[in-house]
Amino acid sequence: MKGRMFSHAAVVLIGLAGVCLAQTTVAPSPEPVGRSRGEDYRNYNFVHSFETGYRFRSVGGNLGKYRSDVNFGNGVRLLASSLAVNSKEGQGRLFDQFTLNTQGLGEDPYQMASLRLEKNKLYRYDMLWRVSDYYNPALAISGGQRLADTRRRVQDHDVTLLPQSSLRLFAGFSRNTQDGPALATTQLFDSRGDEFPLFSDVRRTQNEYRVGLEARVLGMKFAAFRGWEKFTEDTPLRLDSASAGNNSDDQTTLASFRRTEPYQGSTPHWRLHLFTENHDWLAVNARFTYSGGRRDFAFDENGAGTDRFGRARSRQILVAGNARRPVTNGAVTFSVFPSRGLVLTNHTAFHHVRVEGDNTYQEINNLTSGFRFFQFRYLGVRSFVNQSDANWRARKWLGLYGGYHYSKRRIRSIEQFSEQPSDATAASQDNRIHSGLAGIRFQPNKPLSISLDAEVGRADRPFFPISERNFHALGARAQYKSRSLTLAASTRASYNTNSVSLFAHSSRARAHAADASWAPKAWFSFDAGYSKLHLDTLSGIAYFASGRQVLGDESLYVSNIHSGNLGVRLGIRNRADLYLGYSRVQETGDGRARLDAPPTGSRTGSASTLFRFAQTLPLEFESPQGRFSVRIRNKLRWNLGYQHYRYREDSLALQDYRAHTGYTSVVWSF
Amino acid sequence: MKGVGAPGSLVRLLLLLLPAAAAAADYVGGAVCKTCHPDIWQNFYKNAHYKSVAAGDLPPERTGCESCHGPGKAHVEARGGKATIRAFSLMEPQQVLDACLACHVRDIPRSNIRRSSHTQSDVVCASCHSIHKSPAPKYLLAKKQTELCYGCHAGVRAQFAMPSKHRVNEGFMACTDCHNPHGTASPSWRMGLRPRLADTALANEQACLKCHTDKRGPFVFEHPSVRVDGCESCHSPHGSMNPRLLKRPAVFTVCLECHNGAGTFGRQGDGVKMQSSTHNMADPRYRNCTTCHARIHGSNVDSLFLR
Repeated sequence: MKGRMFSHAAVVLIGLAGVCLAQTTVAPSPEPVGRSRGEDYRNYNFVHSFETGYRFRSVGGNLGKYRSDVNFGNGVRLLASSLAVNSKEGQGRLFDQFTLNTQGLGEDPYQMASLRLEKNKLYRYDMLWRVSDYYNPALAISGGQRLADTRRRVQDHDVTLLPQSSLRLFAGFSRNTQDGPALATTQLFDSRGDEFPLFSDVRRTQNEYRVGLEARVLGMKFAAFRGWEKFTEDTPLRLDSASAGNNSDDQTTLASFRRTEPYQGSTPHWRLHLFTENHDWLAVNARFTYSGGRRDFAFDENGAGTDRFGRARSRQILVAGNARRPVTNGAVTFSVFPSRGLVLTNHTAFHHVRVEGDNTYQEINNLTSGFRFFQFRYLGVRSFVNQSDANWRARKWLGLYGGYHYSKRRIRSIEQFSEQPSDATAASQDNRIHSGLAGIRFQPNKPLSISLDAEVGRADRPFFPISERNFHALGARAQYKSRSLTLAASTRASYNTNSVSLFAHSSRARAHAADASWAPKAWFSFDAGYSKLHLDTLSGIAYFASGRQVLGDESLYVSNIHSGNLGVRLGIRNRADLYLGYSRVQETGDGRARLDAPPTGSRTGSASTLFRFAQTLPLEFESPQGRFSVRIRNKLRWNLGYQHYRYREDSLALQDYRAHTGYTSVVWSF
Repeated sequence: MKGVGAPGSLVRLLLLLLPAAAAAADYVGGAVCKTCHPDIWQNFYKNAHYKSVAAGDLPPERTGCESCHGPGKAHVEARGGKATIRAFSLMEPQQVLDACLACHVRDIPRSNIRRSSHTQSDVVCASCHSIHKSPAPKYLLAKKQTELCYGCHAGVRAQFAMPSKHRVNEGFMACTDCHNPHGTASPSWRMGLRPRLADTALANEQACLKCHTDKRGPFVFEHPSVRVDGCESCHSPHGSMNPRLLKRPAVFTVCLECHNGAGTFGRQGDGVKMQSSTHNMADPRYRNCTTCHARIHGSNVDSLFLR
């Protein structure tokens, strides 16, 4: 597998004989048009360009998986645009800077527009608007029944008044919505009942409003921000026609189903900062944040059908309640500069998160006529963090740093299923982590820099079996950087073991990378990179299989990912540009899939074997691309681009696809 | 930084004032710089630093070329030369940081820069920002943001090339949506361990919740892994070869590696709850945990996240 990858890569390397910023999408085109200095009009300078064209795609194989990974479609697009207007003396009447950039407008799955409008000394306005189409194609997770075709729209608006004064005022607004059709699942009528796919109409909205000020007083900077987040979700679920469920050997059926669950609330929050670095020997940075967080909800579910014994069932569940999560957070950092080149910092932080909620659960059904009970859950996490670091430039060519970090956390929980506090189950535990860091940086000569770093840590009581307990990490990086050539190589290894009585977990992660970037001429550049990411984890697991409890089994996960990219950019007689790029990422796993593949549909085989089969997913994902751009006139370019995507899994072909995408466009300015 | 260490407030004041008075005469003004550096000056009005010139009321050490490069008199008299002026290409990383922070220290988002892992690795302002030749529309970045970050974080570039990933290469997101490259306070999750310059949402929450608002909660029944150790317990945030950015190809292996009932783990210190005996893992039906445990990020109704 690995050999095949490299033979492919070698062929491409030789074939291209060169470079470029691979992995970005082929469009929009980065080649400029018009005068880089722009055009002057009255007291302003204008620089602008617009790229408009047609995207196309042709997909063979699993279209859903393509939409999940890539999702570019057909149609006319404003692929990119930019407009920058600057006042020439910084004394514009209404504004001094206007910058507008867009990408993908006109139904690309990823659209963006950013705007900055600024008048020196008076105001600054920033806007960022983004749209992302999210397509979840019902992949293997959840039995392939969870599907979503939603669109997320995000917008942020921020106004700063008096941006250059010692008193600055801020106001902002953000909005985040997600909507679209989806398939969800539910399981009923008892804990062994069948699962049913349901249609849902996703409707989520979050608005955030914020105001703040910054003031400089007596050499100190003080800032206070107040915000209010409002969230509303009202995503109904329903069944449009009777369903026999997902499992044919289960008698559970559903004749009708409806669920509504309005959920809304707000998270008011405060943020306070105090900061000073006016002295030559000390800087102090303090921060306090508090956020409230409350959600109210009601839940009404009504289902009718037959249970797994074939009995007629009808059930209604009514729940109402609320949940709260106040979070308090304080941090103070002292930085001391005892001598030139030496910086000592101590950062102390305190966090307290309290999550609590209650509800009243009421069920009405035709078998037991119904019941009602109260539920309460509390989870409190209080942590204290102290991090001391020293960073010392010992010589011009030598730097050192070291640090000691300590954290202590107390987790408390209360679980209660009646309104009697005496029924509550409470628990409390303390965790501590000690870790030490050290690093050294060399610069034997100007273009070459080398750094080494290490971290070792111990936790006395991790919260989860896969959390870090006895861990250490080693890293190294070397970089040679001259005017036209950059070479870099890095390696990092992280190890963790988390073993307690009768249980063991270990993980090893290693990442190696090398990059080269060469631009000897204005008309030629080359970039190439290779990374290998290795991860293996071994965890003790326990489960039930075929009526018996399996203890002491192991979950072994091995991942070996090779990733490469290269690109070449070639300018032809200052008139045309050719860009060729290639990226490939390949998971080779460890070869177990073919050896241990279980018989299709097996329900009686060894669960252990099934684990091994499921824990490796060898696959390849590659994307060659090419773009040709030619200057037709000084202010007009024509572009033609093509990008191919190929996704192939070794084990199953169901999700494989090949996609031909491309575009043709003109970039123009006037 | 420098230690002054002069005893007595009068002596200290004199020491501060005298060099300042001498220095004021050493500033020549930006118009002189323009004579030899017209290429830089011609476009400088588009530069964010031009505000200091346009303001017209700032002292010479806070305006124009000399606010960063220091007094230019010696440089002019020597008819140029990097040795006669504060040339950033010759400065040590710490000096670059000090020079920029002389003004930018007042910006709250940069208040943790002294202890950031970038600073500890000698990645300072000029490593990412190009003051005179920035091709980026904002923030004077030396390159497109992703290329800047990938330049050192090649492993991250590889993660964003994977099939399941956040849309950074596609232009929908940027690294700074989740990270503050200038340093952050220690995060409130994972006991502040290895913060990775992660930014926070709504003052103190994980950056993931900036966009994934439906996962924020609060819920009556929170999945403790989300609140205690964070989203990274189950997901690889940059990219993954597995669907849904999951750390394992199949969801049940993600779940079972924690839910094994072993040790002193979990909320009540008696192990993370093992699945019920009704779950026959030999039956493929029970390997799709989130089909039934559909509200795995948190539920208001059911402690087992069934609805």
